[in-house]
Amino acid sequence: MISDFIADSLVMASIVITLITVITYQVAAALQQRWQSIWLNPMLVTISILVPVLLFVEMNYQEYTRATQLLNYLLEPAIVALGFPLYQQLRQIRFHWREITAILSFGIIIVIAVSLIMAMILIKAPEIAVALSLKSVTTPIGITLTDQLSGDSSITAFAIMVAGLFGGLLGPAWLKVIGVKSPKAQGLAIGSASHVIGTAIMVRVSAEHGAYSSVALILSALLTALISPWLIPLLQTLFS
Amino acid sequence: MANLLYTLFAISISLLLGKLANHALAGLPASLYGMVFYAIFLQINWVSAERVSATNQWLVRHMGVCFVPAGVGIINHFQLMQQHGIALISIIFISTFILLTVIGYLSERFLITPSHSHSHSHKDTSQVESHD
Repeated sequence: MISDFIADSLVMASIVITLITVITYQVAAALQQRWQSIWLNPMLVTISILVPVLLFVEMNYQEYTRATQLLNYLLEPAIVALGFPLYQQLRQIRFHWREITAILSFGIIIVIAVSLIMAMILIKAPEIAVALSLKSVTTPIGITLTDQLSGDSSITAFAIMVAGLFGGLLGPAWLKVIGVKSPKAQGLAIGSASHVIGTAIMVRVSAEHGAYSSVALILSALLTALISPWLIPLLQTLFS
Repeated sequence: MANLLYTLFAISISLLLGKLANHALAGLPASLYGMVFYAIFLQINWVSAERVSATNQWLVRHMGVCFVPAGVGIINHFQLMQQHGIALISIIFISTFILLTVIGYLSERFLITPSHSHSHSHKDTSQVESHD
């Protein structure tokens, strides 16, 4: 039935489906504002609602992405807008930018290698391995890079969300266990492992935690974009 | 309203330059070049941080909705989840904790500023603030 509706009027269907997506997301975001729980992550909530709905109305994923093209077009300007928080943090990085860049690059190389190799051994599907290796980066950039390296970006989006929740929920306690106490180190670690979800939690701990977490979030996005296009093909040659 | 248009204009120009850079140099995706251009324009004051602040914060707060379609793509992977769900989750879990440990440990070790450079940084911060 839904495919008839789309066939009849693509524009109308696009408007309705995009609106449903936006409204569901906004309601979820409002709920999270109110209850302050990271389990109410708006993207997680929206996806858990939309997937059953799509299955119920028998709309396939291709039809859904076509109907929500508009949101896809907005992805690029949204990434550009992240230049503003980057500019705000430049002052923070000024004094240790070399050390921070070196530490983050090292971490990124390790996490890409570990995820890609584990995935190639356990799951044996290159497009999934690429997606998993790019999960420690903020969603828009993870998706863009995965597409660029012919991975499956829907897996990336999912993996980024799961990594965000793991790191955000368990990360602070784990860092205490291994003796990482300084706000800078905690902020950088959580920001790079759990990007936006982690940063949202760090901001509430202290301003310094929040600042370093967003430094890690943005800098590791840039570094991953610089590192992954040569590291991933290089690692892939191990398995071909 | 003027500030809204100003912000959208600044972002569009940055993105346009990003597309050109991506075309000419490859390397980063166009949007990331755009992000860097935008940060540079703000830093050298070609774009006024004060005027973009409100709209930009709104954009960043609501950008999550643009990733929903990608996330919904999981609908195509029920079979994968059934077959490899545990492997998938373990890979995410293990690599996330390795990353936390590596970054946390190295930062704790190498970013603790010795006392002399600490007083330096305080002085510098005040200078930076007066410069801006």
